[in-house]
Amino acid sequence: MEINWSAVLGIVFTPVIAFLVGVTYGGLTRRITARIQNRFGPPFYQNILDIIKLYSKESNINHGVMQHLGPVFAITASVTTLFFIPVIKDSPVFTNFSFNGDLIFLLYIMVFGSLGMALGAGQTGNPNSAIGVSRGLSQLVGYEVPFVMALVAIMVQFQTTSLNDLLAVQDHFTKWIIFQSPFAFLAAILAFLGMMGYAPFDVVIAPAEIASGPPSEFGGKYLGLMLTSRSIFTFAKLVLFTDIFLGGAHDFITLIIKTFILYMIPVLTGIVFPRFRTEQSIRFFWSWPLFFGILAILVVVF
Amino acid sequence: MFNDKEASKIVDIIKNFARKHSLWVVAYGTGCGAIELPPTMTSRYDAERFGIRGSATPRQADVLLITGYLSVKTLKRVIRTYEQMQEPKYVIGFGSCTINGGMYWDSYNTIKALDRYLPVDVYINGCMPRPEAVISGFIKLQQLISEGKADGAKRYRENLEWYRENQRKVIKNWRMPEYNW
Amino acid sequence: MNSIAYILLITFAGAGITFIVHHLIKPLRDIIAITVAASGLYFVIQSLTEKTKIVFGIADFNIIWGNTPYSNLFAVLIAVLGFLTILYARDFMAEKERLGYFYMNLLFVIGGMYGIVYSQDLISLFFFWEVMTWSSFLLVIYCCKEAQPIGLKYFVFSAIGAYSLLIAIVMIYAQTGNLELSNILQNFGNISEVNQIVIAVLLLTGFGVKSAIMPLHVWAPDSYSISPSPFTALFSGALSKMGIFGIGMVLFKFASHSGYFSYVKIILAWLGGITALLATFYAIFQTDAKKLLAYSSIGQLGYIIIGLAVGTPLSIAAALFLVILHGAFKAMLFMSVGAVYFRTGTTDMNSVTGLIRKMPLSFVTMLFGIITVSGVPPLGGFAAKWMLYESLIQSKHYFLVIVVFAASTAAFLYLYKLIFSLFLGQEEVEWSHVKEVPLLMLIPMLILSAFVLVAGIFPGLVLDPISHAMQYLGNYGFKYETSVLFNEWGNKINMQTVINVIGAVFLIAGLFVTFKGLKKTRYVTTKDIHTSGEIPEENENLTYAVDFYKPFERAIAPALKASIDKIYTAIGNNLEQAFDFLRYVYTGNGQTYAMYVVLFLSLLILFAELIFGIKL
Repeated sequence: MEINWSAVLGIVFTPVIAFLVGVTYGGLTRRITARIQNRFGPPFYQNILDIIKLYSKESNINHGVMQHLGPVFAITASVTTLFFIPVIKDSPVFTNFSFNGDLIFLLYIMVFGSLGMALGAGQTGNPNSAIGVSRGLSQLVGYEVPFVMALVAIMVQFQTTSLNDLLAVQDHFTKWIIFQSPFAFLAAILAFLGMMGYAPFDVVIAPAEIASGPPSEFGGKYLGLMLTSRSIFTFAKLVLFTDIFLGGAHDFITLIIKTFILYMIPVLTGIVFPRFRTEQSIRFFWSWPLFFGILAILVVVF
Repeated sequence: MFNDKEASKIVDIIKNFARKHSLWVVAYGTGCGAIELPPTMTSRYDAERFGIRGSATPRQADVLLITGYLSVKTLKRVIRTYEQMQEPKYVIGFGSCTINGGMYWDSYNTIKALDRYLPVDVYINGCMPRPEAVISGFIKLQQLISEGKADGAKRYRENLEWYRENQRKVIKNWRMPEYNW
Repeated sequence: MNSIAYILLITFAGAGITFIVHHLIKPLRDIIAITVAASGLYFVIQSLTEKTKIVFGIADFNIIWGNTPYSNLFAVLIAVLGFLTILYARDFMAEKERLGYFYMNLLFVIGGMYGIVYSQDLISLFFFWEVMTWSSFLLVIYCCKEAQPIGLKYFVFSAIGAYSLLIAIVMIYAQTGNLELSNILQNFGNISEVNQIVIAVLLLTGFGVKSAIMPLHVWAPDSYSISPSPFTALFSGALSKMGIFGIGMVLFKFASHSGYFSYVKIILAWLGGITALLATFYAIFQTDAKKLLAYSSIGQLGYIIIGLAVGTPLSIAAALFLVILHGAFKAMLFMSVGAVYFRTGTTDMNSVTGLIRKMPLSFVTMLFGIITVSGVPPLGGFAAKWMLYESLIQSKHYFLVIVVFAASTAAFLYLYKLIFSLFLGQEEVEWSHVKEVPLLMLIPMLILSAFVLVAGIFPGLVLDPISHAMQYLGNYGFKYETSVLFNEWGNKINMQTVINVIGAVFLIAGLFVTFKGLKKTRYVTTKDIHTSGEIPEENENLTYAVDFYKPFERAIAPALKASIDKIYTAIGNNLEQAFDFLRYVYTGNGQTYAMYVVLFLSLLILFAELIFGIKL
C-alpha cells in the first residue's frame, strides 16, 4: 500500500499549527485587552504557559467517567472540525479530509464537542455547571438559526454544500462571498460573536456570576485539554469563516492576516460591552441577525 | 544525547518555569485585606503581567491567598477550599493577622498563626500590605517555585495528622469530610 | 401456505393462547408470548425473499394479503420492535397484574400492524386498523383509573381518524366500484380531481391522527406517557409509523395524478415543520421524562412527514431512513426511561438524579439514543438529518429548512435535560439503592444501540431496502454507497472517513487523558464540589433541575402562549352551548324523528349523484 506522505504530513501538522496559532491568538487577546484597559498585560505566550502548567499538575480529580471523557469529546470535535476544513487552498498537505465532508457536516460536528463537554460538566453535579450548560444550549439555539440562514443562502447561491467548491468560486478578491452575499456575511458574523463566546455573549462562562460555569469542576489535565481544544477550535472556526467569506488563503501569512482580522471582531466587541442576560442574548440573535439572514435568502431567491 | 536524569531535569525546569509564570489565585476574600486586591489586579499595578490571574473555583487554582484575619468559622471553609485545590498548590499569608494575629491578637474568635493550620509558603507583612508588597510577595513565591522550594502541599500531606489536630482544636463542630489523598 | 398467512395466524392465535395460558399456567405465558413474537420475526424474514399474495372472498369482496418492498420495510420494523418489546416486557411487567390482558393486547397490536402493512385491499386495511386502534386503546387505559380520560381522548381522535378513513373508503368504492388496492391505483386517475383531493385529504387525516401531526396530536403526549413503557416503545416506535405508512401510500400512490396535490403536499410539509418546531418547544418544558419523549416523538414524526411531503428522492429516502431509525432510537429511549422507572418508580425528572454509576448500561443506551436524535455524527441520526437538509435545500424549501434546523437545534435542549436530570448531576442518597436492570431488559436496549451505530457508519445497509421500497413507490432512484451519501448537487459525505477520524482522535485523546498521571487521578463524589467552601450535608439536594431552561422560556414566552389544547378546550366549551340548541331539534317526540328520517332519505336521493356519484 502506498502511503500518501503529504496527507500524513497534513494530519500531523494541522492540529499542531492550529494549536499554536490559536493559543497565540488567545495570548494576544489578553494583551490587547490589557492595553485597552491601560495595562501592560501578560506576554503573548502566556496561554501556552498556562496550558503547560495545567498539564503539569500532579493531582487530578474527576467525578466519574463522563467528566473524564468530557474534554476528550471536546478535543475530538475540534480536531475533527479542523480536519474537514481546507486550511490552505489547493494545498495537497493542508486540505486533509475536506473532500469527504460538507458544510452541514461541519455544522453538526461543531456542536459535538459542546454536547460532550455538557455531559462531562453535567456529571460533576455542580449546580453552576448545570446553569452554564443550560445557558449555553439556550444560546446555541439563538445563534445557530441566523448562522444556518447565512449558510443556506450561500449554498443556494453557489449550488454547492462543499467548502472546496466555495473556495473555487472565490478565485479573485472581488468574488469573495463577503462582497457577493453581504447580508449572509452580516448574519453569519453576528452569529459568530455568539459562537466565540466573548462579551456580551459570555453567559456560559460568566466567571463572576456562576464560577466559570461548565468547567468549574475541571482542573489540571482536564482543564488543560479543554483549553487546548478551545485554541484549536478557535482557529478552526476562524479558518472556516475565512474559507466561506474571505476566499480562503494560498499561504499561511495570508491566512494569519485574514483570521486575525476576523478574530478581532468578537474580541474588540467583547472588550467594550458588558454581559447580556441569556434571554436578551437569544432575543438579540433572533432580531437583527435573523433579519439579515432572511434578507440574504430573499436576495438569493429573487 | 541526554540521559534520563538530565531529561527529567529539563522537563522539571520547563514545568517550574510554567508554574512560576502562571499563578491562578483563588479569590477568597477572608478579611479586610481583600480590598487591596482590586488595585493589584487592575491597571495601576497590573499583576497580570506576571501571569497572575484570578480563578473562579479552587479546582482550577494554584494559589490560595489568605487576605487578612481568619475567624474560626471561615477557617473551616478555607481548609475545605485548600483541600479542593490540585497539587502543586501554594498558600500566601497576607498581612500581619496571618502571622501573629495582628490587631486581633487577643480575639476569642480568630486564629493567630495561620502556619499551624495550613502550610504557608510566603508571608506578606504589613497592615495593610500595599499592592507593591503583594506583588513582591508573589515574586518571592515565583523564586521559591523555580528553586523547587515551594513545597507546602507536600508538607501538608506529610504532616496531615499534626495539621488536623490543630484544626480540630479550634473548630468545635468538626463535620469535615475525610480527605482521601 | 405462505409466510404472510403464518405471520397473521400465529400472532392472532398466539394472542388468544397467551390470554388463556395466563389463566391456566402463569409461568408459560411469557415464554409463549416471546415465542409468538420470535416466530413472527422469523416469518417476516422468510417473507422478504418471496413475493406472495393470498386471495379469498368474503361476501362479494376479495380480501387480498400480500407483500411489497414497501410493506416489507415496515414489517421488519414491526417484527423487530415487537420481539424486542416483548422481551423487554418479560421483566418489566413481572410484578404487574392482569398480564394476560396485557400480552394479548400487545400481540393484537402487533398482529394488527402486520395486517395493515400486508393488506392489499381497503376492507382488511380498515379492519386491521380498527384492531390496532382498539387494542392499543385498551393498553393505554391498562394502568389505572387516571388513564381513562386520557384513553378517551385517544379514542375520540382515533375515531375521527377512523371515520375519515371510512368515508374515504366509501367514496373510493363509490367512485371506482372496487376495493382492491391494485385496481384502485389504476383507476384513481379517472376520478374527478375534486374527489381525488377530498379522498386524499380524508385519508391523510385518518392516517395523520396516528402519526400525530399537528393539529391532530393532542392525544399523543398523555397517551404515550401513561401507557406501560414496553408498550410505549412499540407505540411510538412502530404504531405511529402506521400513519406514516398510510401517508406514504397516499402521497405517492394516490396523489400522483392531479396537479392540485402539490398544494396539499406543501401544506402537509409545513404542517410537519410546525409540528417539529412546536413539539420540540413543548418538549423542552416538560418535567416528566415520558411526556418529554412523547413530545419529542411528535416532533420527529414531523420530520418524517416533511420528508415524505417534499417528495424528492433524497427526501423520501431521508424520511424512510428516519422511520427505521426513529423506531430504533425512540424505542431505546423509552426503554431506558422505562428502566429508570423500573428501579425508581418514577419518571419525574425533577426528583430522579445521578443514576449514571448505578445504571451504566441504561445510561449508554440513552446516550446513544440522544446522540441519534440530535443528529450529531457519527451515529445514524446524522445520515438522516443530512439527507433531509440537503433535499430540502435542493428542492427550494429554504424557509422550511430553517424551521427544521431550528427545531433540531432546540432538540439539543430537551435531550440534554433528559439525560442530565435522570443520569447525570448529583448522586442523591435517595437513589443509592438503585442498581442496573436485569439482563433481559438490557439486551433489547443494547441491540438497538448497536443498530444505530451501524446505521451511522454504514447508512447504505439501511438504504438498500429503502431504495427497493422507493422503487415500488414510484421509481425513485438516488445515488448512495455503503458509507457514502451524495446530494443532488454531487457533494458527498463519507461516513467511513468521519468515523475513522473521530475514532482515532477520540482514542488518542482518551488514552492521553487516562494515562497522564494515572496514579494521582482520583475519583471524588458529587458532594465534593466547589460550593464556596461550604460543606453540603449528606442529604442536601444540590441538583439544579427545576426550571432548567428558564432563560429560554423567557426568551420564547410569547410563542408559547397560544396552545392548541386551549383551542380545543374553547371549542369544547362552545359545543356545550351548541348542544343546548340541539335540544330543540331532538324533541323526544316520535313524530318529529319520523319526519327527520323522511327528510334525510329524500335529501340522499336528491343529492346521491353529487355525493357518491351513483345514479339511482
